[in-house]
Amino acid sequence: MEIKIEDQKNIRILSAMGEVDMHTSPELRKHLLKAVKDKIPIVIVDLKEVSYIDSSGIATLVEALKGMMKYKGSLKLCSLSERVKEIFSFAKLDKVFEIYKDLQDATIG
Amino acid sequence: MEKALIIKDLVAGYNNKIILKKISFDVPKGMITAIVGGSGSGKSTILKHLIGLLKPLSGEIITKGYDLTKLDEKDLNKYRKSMGVLFQGSALLNSLTIEENVALPIREHSKLNESTIKIMVKMKLDLVGLSGFGNFYPSQLSGGMKKRAGIARAMALDPELIFFDEPQAGLDPITASGLDFLIMKLRDLFKMTVVVVTHELHSLFTIADKIIHLDKGELIFDGTKEEFKRSENPKIVNFINRIPEEENYCPEDYFNILTAE
Repeated sequence: MEIKIEDQKNIRILSAMGEVDMHTSPELRKHLLKAVKDKIPIVIVDLKEVSYIDSSGIATLVEALKGMMKYKGSLKLCSLSERVKEIFSFAKLDKVFEIYKDLQDATIG
Repeated sequence: MEKALIIKDLVAGYNNKIILKKISFDVPKGMITAIVGGSGSGKSTILKHLIGLLKPLSGEIITKGYDLTKLDEKDLNKYRKSMGVLFQGSALLNSLTIEENVALPIREHSKLNESTIKIMVKMKLDLVGLSGFGNFYPSQLSGGMKKRAGIARAMALDPELIFFDEPQAGLDPITASGLDFLIMKLRDLFKMTVVVVTHELHSLFTIADKIIHLDKGELIFDGTKEEFKRSENPKIVNFINRIPEEENYCPEDYFNILTAE
């Protein structure tokens, strides 16, 4: 998995590519916790190029959301594949996260 | 159709007694395959071979292009990490809480941070309907809850392949039915390949996409549940209608059994 980082004003965009699994999710966690530590107001995780995300990846996102809520930051997810959407919905996390159709919507939403 | 496992001419046994007699069948990916048969048919033996606990006398078990039966312990452990097993008695560690039981394989096989593991464990417990029971010990749970906890642990590493050894054994019909729905959920939501060893007819006809019927170590049926129901094989008809088989040995055989040294 690779992560591309882009900063725009108050927004940090993390674009993940590949599979987010137990081997790679610590890398995503590192970038998300850095954003939490820096108290970035809005973090967008773009999952467009993510072919698979396992429970460690989802748990990592939950952990980051919990950290961001402490300083009223906003964690947005965008471009989820149908399968990833289903997993979020089943885990009842589709109502917990702000989920957007694509990066453009997440940026202006 | 993609195959998760290909079993070719598998011969297996214990102490010179042949239990599986040249069995061949496929396990399709993303589907539920049920292995059925009466007691002593060889279904538990085949399960032990599919999870790499036993080596066969001959034959192959192919998965992802390699033969399981030829793997050394190191590569077998890699394979075992990609699958989960719910054993008959759930096999939970009684000295650990349910949360600790589920976390154990994650702690053993990953370098994930403890806070990530805690969230993962909560997700698994919620998946099986055990939210709020994480701090309970196995002895404090009912039989059905133990099975669910066992499934949560089998799911800990997000396996592609999950095996159930008689999951409904000892459960009341309602709890068993709930377990059936959970097994189907694993297939539908997580696209898991599921192999269930069972002799529960109701469960079989509810969950199975494919049925393998073993009889005294021989494969006598390999097909869909609709084909299974239509089968005219007397052994399958008896199995479906719960008609016990007649003793097939003569008084002389019986005498020999009793007097054998």
